[in-house]
Amino acid sequence: MSLWVDKYRPTLLGKLDYHKEQANQLKNLVQCGDFPHLLVYGPSGAGKKTRIMCLLRELYGPGVEKLRIEHQSITAPSKKKIEINSIASNYHLEVNASDAGNSDRVVIQELIKTVAQSQQIQSSTQREFKVVLLTEVDRLTKDAQHALRRTMEKYMSTCRLILCCNSTSKVIGPIRSRCLAVRVALPSTEEVCSVLTSVCRKEGLLLPGELAKRIAEKSGRNLRKALLMCEACRVQQYPFSADQDIPDTDWEVYLKETANAIVSQQSPQRLLEVRARLYELLTHCIPPEIIIKGLVAELLSNCDGHLKAEVAQAAAHYEHRLQLGNKAIYHLEAFVAKFMAVYKKFMEDGLDAMMI
Amino acid sequence: MDEYDEMYGIEDEFEQQFADELEVMAEIDYEPPRQTKVSELRNKKPLSFEDALVSGDLILKKQGAVSLPECSASQQSSVLKPASLLPEALDGSELPEHFLDSDSFHSPKSKRCRQDVAKKLKFGLSDGGHDITPPSSPEDYSRSTSNSVQAVPASTLDISGLGELQASPRRATVATPHVLRRPPASGDYISVTDSSGNRVYLAKKDEDTVRAVDSRALRNSHYSLGLLSVPIEVLMEQVAERRHRQVVEESQRLTEMLNSRIDEEFGELDGGEPEEDEQAAMDEDQDGTASRLWVDRFSPRHYTELLSDDFTNRCLLKWLKLWDTVVFGREKPTKKPKPPQPDNKLSFQQKDQQNPRFKTKIQITEEILEAELDQYQRPKYKVALLSGPPGLGKTTLAHIIAKHAGYNVVEMNASDDRSAELFQKRIDTATQMKSVLGANEKPNCLVIDEIDGAPTAAINVLLATLNRKESRETDAETAGIGSLKKKKKKKTESVLLRPIICICNDLYVPALRQLRQQAFLLTFPPTQPSRLVQRLAEISRRQDMKVDTGALMALCEKTDNDIRSCINTLQFLHRRGQKQLDQRMVQSMTIGLKDQNKGLFSVWQEIFQLPRVKRKRVGEELFAGMDHGGQASTAAHRLQHILHLASSSGEHEKLTQGLYDNFLSMKLKDPSLRGVCSALEWLGFSDILSETMMHGQNFSLMRYLPFLPAAFHLLFAATSVPRINYPKSQYEALTRTQHTRNALVAMLAEIHPSIRSRVGVLCLSLDVLGLLLEVICPKLRPVNPQLYSMREKQQLVELVDTMLSYNLTYRQDRSPEGQYMYLLEPNVEEAARSRACPRRQLTYQAKQMIAREIELERMRRAEAVLQARNPQRRNEEEKNTAKHSGSLKPAARNHQQRLENIVKQTVVETRPEVDFFGRALVPKEKPVSTAASGEEGKAVSVELQMGKAVGNSDVWFRFNEGVSNAVRRNVYIKDLL
Repeated sequence: MSLWVDKYRPTLLGKLDYHKEQANQLKNLVQCGDFPHLLVYGPSGAGKKTRIMCLLRELYGPGVEKLRIEHQSITAPSKKKIEINSIASNYHLEVNASDAGNSDRVVIQELIKTVAQSQQIQSSTQREFKVVLLTEVDRLTKDAQHALRRTMEKYMSTCRLILCCNSTSKVIGPIRSRCLAVRVALPSTEEVCSVLTSVCRKEGLLLPGELAKRIAEKSGRNLRKALLMCEACRVQQYPFSADQDIPDTDWEVYLKETANAIVSQQSPQRLLEVRARLYELLTHCIPPEIIIKGLVAELLSNCDGHLKAEVAQAAAHYEHRLQLGNKAIYHLEAFVAKFMAVYKKFMEDGLDAMMI
Repeated sequence: MDEYDEMYGIEDEFEQQFADELEVMAEIDYEPPRQTKVSELRNKKPLSFEDALVSGDLILKKQGAVSLPECSASQQSSVLKPASLLPEALDGSELPEHFLDSDSFHSPKSKRCRQDVAKKLKFGLSDGGHDITPPSSPEDYSRSTSNSVQAVPASTLDISGLGELQASPRRATVATPHVLRRPPASGDYISVTDSSGNRVYLAKKDEDTVRAVDSRALRNSHYSLGLLSVPIEVLMEQVAERRHRQVVEESQRLTEMLNSRIDEEFGELDGGEPEEDEQAAMDEDQDGTASRLWVDRFSPRHYTELLSDDFTNRCLLKWLKLWDTVVFGREKPTKKPKPPQPDNKLSFQQKDQQNPRFKTKIQITEEILEAELDQYQRPKYKVALLSGPPGLGKTTLAHIIAKHAGYNVVEMNASDDRSAELFQKRIDTATQMKSVLGANEKPNCLVIDEIDGAPTAAINVLLATLNRKESRETDAETAGIGSLKKKKKKKTESVLLRPIICICNDLYVPALRQLRQQAFLLTFPPTQPSRLVQRLAEISRRQDMKVDTGALMALCEKTDNDIRSCINTLQFLHRRGQKQLDQRMVQSMTIGLKDQNKGLFSVWQEIFQLPRVKRKRVGEELFAGMDHGGQASTAAHRLQHILHLASSSGEHEKLTQGLYDNFLSMKLKDPSLRGVCSALEWLGFSDILSETMMHGQNFSLMRYLPFLPAAFHLLFAATSVPRINYPKSQYEALTRTQHTRNALVAMLAEIHPSIRSRVGVLCLSLDVLGLLLEVICPKLRPVNPQLYSMREKQQLVELVDTMLSYNLTYRQDRSPEGQYMYLLEPNVEEAARSRACPRRQLTYQAKQMIAREIELERMRRAEAVLQARNPQRRNEEEKNTAKHSGSLKPAARNHQQRLENIVKQTVVETRPEVDFFGRALVPKEKPVSTAASGEEGKAVSVELQMGKAVGNSDVWFRFNEGVSNAVRRNVYIKDLL
């Protein structure tokens, strides 16, 4: 519990730093002792999980913070053994079913059903239902999501589901319609700044406002990242200075360099180099969607006018194909090649126009 | 029986009425007909029958009768019936004639031909110049012709006994007495249909009836005395039957022998044999029974006719000859320095190569062949393993060479059951036994065909057989070589003494790995097209096909010099009625094509390389005529070619990978990158395709996969020779991703659940890890931590805390250069850091210090947990911790401490005493110590005991638990003192 992120994480709905109104609503929701299935979504680092845990705490009391890790092995009908780790308290179970890869359907079916089918014996001391918290629902396969549909309705009396994901676009409609969707937005820059300052104060440090703002901006309002950055700054140099270096994650730096390489030259040789760099990123477990997003963001800043639209369209096209396909590298490289072709043509046209 | 009725019309109603019965009786009865009447009319068969009874004085007359073409066995039988049945009622003179007439229509031909053979043999012997050549029936055609050809030698050769041959004709007659035109009314019968569609019925005899009727017949007959229980006729018949069989066998053997002798003669003449072949072929054609495959018909029969590579042939032959010493007992050429003729070429080669540092393959092979025999006089390699693509003549070579070297070939192939036991059995049978029956007393040579399909267990059996050692070698050695040989003959059960030739297509099948090391490997080079063409031309010439060499060349090329495929194609065309073959036809033909299994590299090569401009062929012009415009046509042709290539290669995944990895390194004349874009578009498309295929099991989409290589070919093919690298990028990326992932998962596995629930793999790699690594690299003064200021100490504690909570530590490791360094464990540094931008690292000392602190902290925590679990110890520990705060464990007064532990153990371990059988003993007197130790005052009692037992005396001992726990009792020091 030593990283600031973990140390100063609020555990009560009332103590949340931002989106207080939403926190109140959640509190009201739980007040009556029951709530519908929830679908909590929002970008990474916005505090979804924190909010969910606060909610559970509100619901079940401090007992919910006594967590243990359970290893379970499930045998699929195809005799394949699936090992899955879940985090559980006496009141809830947290599973990341997408860890099981393609067999996530089996996990959903087996695990959730066993939890859902068991009834609480003593309903006087406990709630009648348990909560199953499914994370990264957007990474579940379609099969698994369909397996979830009926389960959600059938075991309503004994089980509540809280689904947690980044984007609802990959969650199938039937599930979305069965849940109460809760969007957790990113905190504003000011809110991030205030959180940073308060954390620093608790640590007995003095954080200059400017640095806080810079950190907030650099982290892209991702609060987790902002706090980590702040702590890294602290480690690097304590008496903070407003213009000190803010460490960044390596892959972002690397991605920027890649984008620059693409812009500076367009040739098959360069494409080959870019390919190597893309592979490097992929091997570091960076999801291809994020790579393409980062690339587009960087590349667009180097384009002007109508080129932007064209590039954005190409990016959308290739990201779509990326989702359909299996080998990310083909699609990433296709996007890069497309950009190169478009960009080169644009530059040459511009050059010709200048000559005339 | 219409004719029958007509003929006898009114003459005898009796017969009409009882026709069936009569017939039945006729079958049964063997009463010989009245000699005087019938003998004139009858041909030799009845006469010979008579012979059996009386004496063989009428032979010459019979021969005259034989010359009548109509006469046949069946006639006589039918003649016999009425004559024997109704001696009194019938007008004997008339009846047989009619019978003769009527029956001559229906006489089954099969019978006749049997007779023919017999006749022929007889006549050949008795009067060679006799002009009787009976009209040959189709079934017997080949034999008869061959006989006619060899008529003279047959007569000159005397083989079988004369008596047998003479006896044969009569036998034939007796053997066929019961042929009926319609099924007999009673009794079993067999229906026989001859080649011209006539059906006759052979009645089966019942033994009882035969006997019964016999007795009656005997009574009736004039001269039967009834002395024999079995009538003489039956006996005669049996004897005749046996003789006939012998004769037929003999004649067959003779023919075979003659044929083979002729073959040999012609074979030596070289070129004579084809004529014979041709003749046979023509015969077959005439007969309309040319059902044999040309591949079989024109397969080489001699070493000189082999089409396969000479060197390979010679090597195998030499290897097989190495066995001569052990198999045939010849002392032999291995003793000689070098077998002269085959080595001439090689010795030249060796001279040429001044420094033979690197041996050529040929040299290695030669060396193997020159190698010493082992202790059993066997060659070093007991197995020859022939390998090569299909259609090169491997099996043929093995058979011919084995025959050539004087072996009897025993073949096992994939059609046999090849489970381990059966394999063992068959190998043993083939290698340790030899045929005693029959003329060929050659030793066996085992040919195991298609061994690459055999299960590993079977191949292990083979290996075991190869490596078997004789158990009592020493005896053999003392006895000397001569007796060694004899000994071997006696107890050969164990050692392999026969050559084994294995044949496979794929040498690198995993199951063959072991065998490969122990075998004499011979890889077949492709057949030379010129020789193949020559052979094909010869075949087509013999089959009256007009073929020009160009067409044959094209055919060879098309089939990749596959002999079998070439000949099959030729035959196919021939049978289709084509007597001519030209290039155009070959080009346009889709037969004879096989799924070539080209290597991936050659496929990639062909995709990236434009085909060389060849001289225009007729076939291509044909295509050109169909399309319009030469350019388009070649492109279309190329497209077709690549499509075929890609679809036959089968490994789409690999193929695509190779294309993807290599296409950017090609020389691209593509400034606008349009080609690259479309290539990547194609790649993306095929990826989506395969994903859909795999995910939805929709394999019908597979047919679109080969278009990707075709597209690449059209986009990137160049004239220069491409340099292809094996595609490994994807695999490398995959393994590295896996590695990273594993590191992350390992890190997550031990993280405290409260943190764990907030951090997934994804978020770890994206947000947390990079910054976390920054956080755990504080600036630490390179001094002893004792000298740190309060703040620095605080920082260190925090650092250790962080690392522990994220399950990180440093581990000492030795780099390949011999330097020691500390690495993060689990090594997530690699996962988070890219190789391109190195980050600040802690010094070795700092890491060492941190690692130590982490270790200490971990111990402390473990201790705390332990204490929390058993509160009894807490008091004790508290005392210690008060004294030594922060250190590992209270380490003081070590002998006392140890004793304390020992005593405590004994106290704790005191169990109720039990006797040998585990029953509780009632203690006679309670030991003081156990009585004293209560639940609450354990610590006190320990002190007490120590004071009593240890503290007071200088002597103490410790009871080490022995192995025997049969009887055990506690002994206390106070008892000893």
